[in-house]
Amino acid sequence: MKLLLMQCKVEMLRILRNPYYVFWSLLMPILFYFIFTKVVNTGVPDQGEWQARYLMSMTVFSVMGSSMMTLGIRLVQEKTQGWSTLMRITPLPDSIYFIGQMVGQTIIHVFAIAVIFTAGALINHVSLSVSEWVLSGLWILAGSAPFLAIGTLVGTMKKVDTASAVSNVIYMVLAITGGLWMPLEIMPKLMQSIGHWLPSYNYGNGAWMIVRGEAPELSNVWILLGYFVVFMLVSKYIRRKQEAGVS
Amino acid sequence: MREIVKVERASKTYKEHRAVHDVSFSIREGEIVAILGPNGAGKTTTLSMILGLIKPTSGEVRLFGKEPTERTVRERMGMMLQEVSVMGGLKVKELLELFRHYYPNPLALKEIIALTALTESELGMRVEKLSGGQKRRLNFALSLAGNPDLLLFDEPTVGMDTTSRQRFWHTVHTLSEQGKTIIFTTHYLQEADDVAKRIVLFNQGRIVADDTPSAIKGKITKSYVTFKAKPQWVKLLAGFPEVIDIRQEDDIIRVETEDTDAVLALLFHERVGASSIRIEQGKLDEVFERLTADMKEVG
Repeated sequence: MKLLLMQCKVEMLRILRNPYYVFWSLLMPILFYFIFTKVVNTGVPDQGEWQARYLMSMTVFSVMGSSMMTLGIRLVQEKTQGWSTLMRITPLPDSIYFIGQMVGQTIIHVFAIAVIFTAGALINHVSLSVSEWVLSGLWILAGSAPFLAIGTLVGTMKKVDTASAVSNVIYMVLAITGGLWMPLEIMPKLMQSIGHWLPSYNYGNGAWMIVRGEAPELSNVWILLGYFVVFMLVSKYIRRKQEAGVS
Repeated sequence: MREIVKVERASKTYKEHRAVHDVSFSIREGEIVAILGPNGAGKTTTLSMILGLIKPTSGEVRLFGKEPTERTVRERMGMMLQEVSVMGGLKVKELLELFRHYYPNPLALKEIIALTALTESELGMRVEKLSGGQKRRLNFALSLAGNPDLLLFDEPTVGMDTTSRQRFWHTVHTLSEQGKTIIFTTHYLQEADDVAKRIVLFNQGRIVADDTPSAIKGKITKSYVTFKAKPQWVKLLAGFPEVIDIRQEDDIIRVETEDTDAVLALLFHERVGASSIRIEQGKLDEVFERLTADMKEVG
């Protein structure tokens, strides 16, 4: 148990000390939030609702990024630099190593959610009920699962450079087409109909519904779950194929 | 002495390619063994099987009488792999502490520091900021974290300067005196000769020699008698059975033989009038070259 705690602590330290994480997952979303709610006049009728909605968008943007990029790039690094081999020879059970990474990643997400929510409350005095804060936070935490699965998929790549380039592109494309930067409603019809099937839109939409005082649509849950299962299966399949090639 | 490592008729085949073929040897407590051989000879594959990273296609490997992958075995092992960049984001001291927690009877941090000569400022550095040599030392320190009975080093001194190399081997001697069993691979023959009490020489996936460095040298080594004499003796001496090869370089004649005594007797018996007579022993480099070259011709 002590071992697991120590492993989790170390994993968190590692993420927090990663400058890319701090930049992409904390500074960028807060900066964007500031720009699109304070500096640029978006001309939306209900400012309060827009501020709450955009806060959700940016939190989703942050957690989605660290799920795919932080996790994916790290998996590739550990594989290419011989680190995972060394860990396999230590007496540390694989399960504790894996759980440590997952718990560490989750706590980091909780941290990101808390930081960005606080920033929103301070910048725009966004006020939601306690249950809305908690439920939207939990939604964002749980909804990250399909993106973590994408992260493990990115983690099967051979080179760190490819992994970081590919995950960056996926990240940006998903963020824009999913309506995290600007609402899907202002985009062309075709983009809208594609967007509705993307994991990023469904991830965001759940949180937007919650801050509007409604429950996430059932389709949001099913689509995210579907993506999670598909990405996990593909990632598992690739991994098994890679292992068969080595031994 | 107890048997620590036992490799029995182990083979490893990758698709069509035979990396290691029917290899057997055992290593007892307290031995320092060098695994030597040219690239692709099967050293790393053999080491990986001992580490439990790959499974032999046939045959078996036992450490402390158990499977290499068992946790109780892992707890008694320390290893330094080739080209490991340790994970970023941690300080040297934090990483050492983390590793110490993986083992039931870790070595005190103070002792690790004393053995590896890590400095106070290095301990506070982030591991990704370390230089190549410092990384090697950190890897060495990590291998000692669990106070292991068995240490395995894969090409440990690659990238070390002469001073660090000397200090490294000095420390290895200290560890060996404490009764630890040490296995290392190297392509520096001199190191194997100086450090190891036993050399297991690999070529083309097989063991071609397994003995003490001096015995290996003695067994197949070339010996030479060199002397100064008139050039016509080169042709005259070439016919004698003791003489394997004879060459002249400048005014020195060099005779290759298996029996230097017989050659000396010959020189006096034939009244060669040789001066500046010397006897030379072959170097391990030559043994290495000869053993591996012979195998190439056969294979």
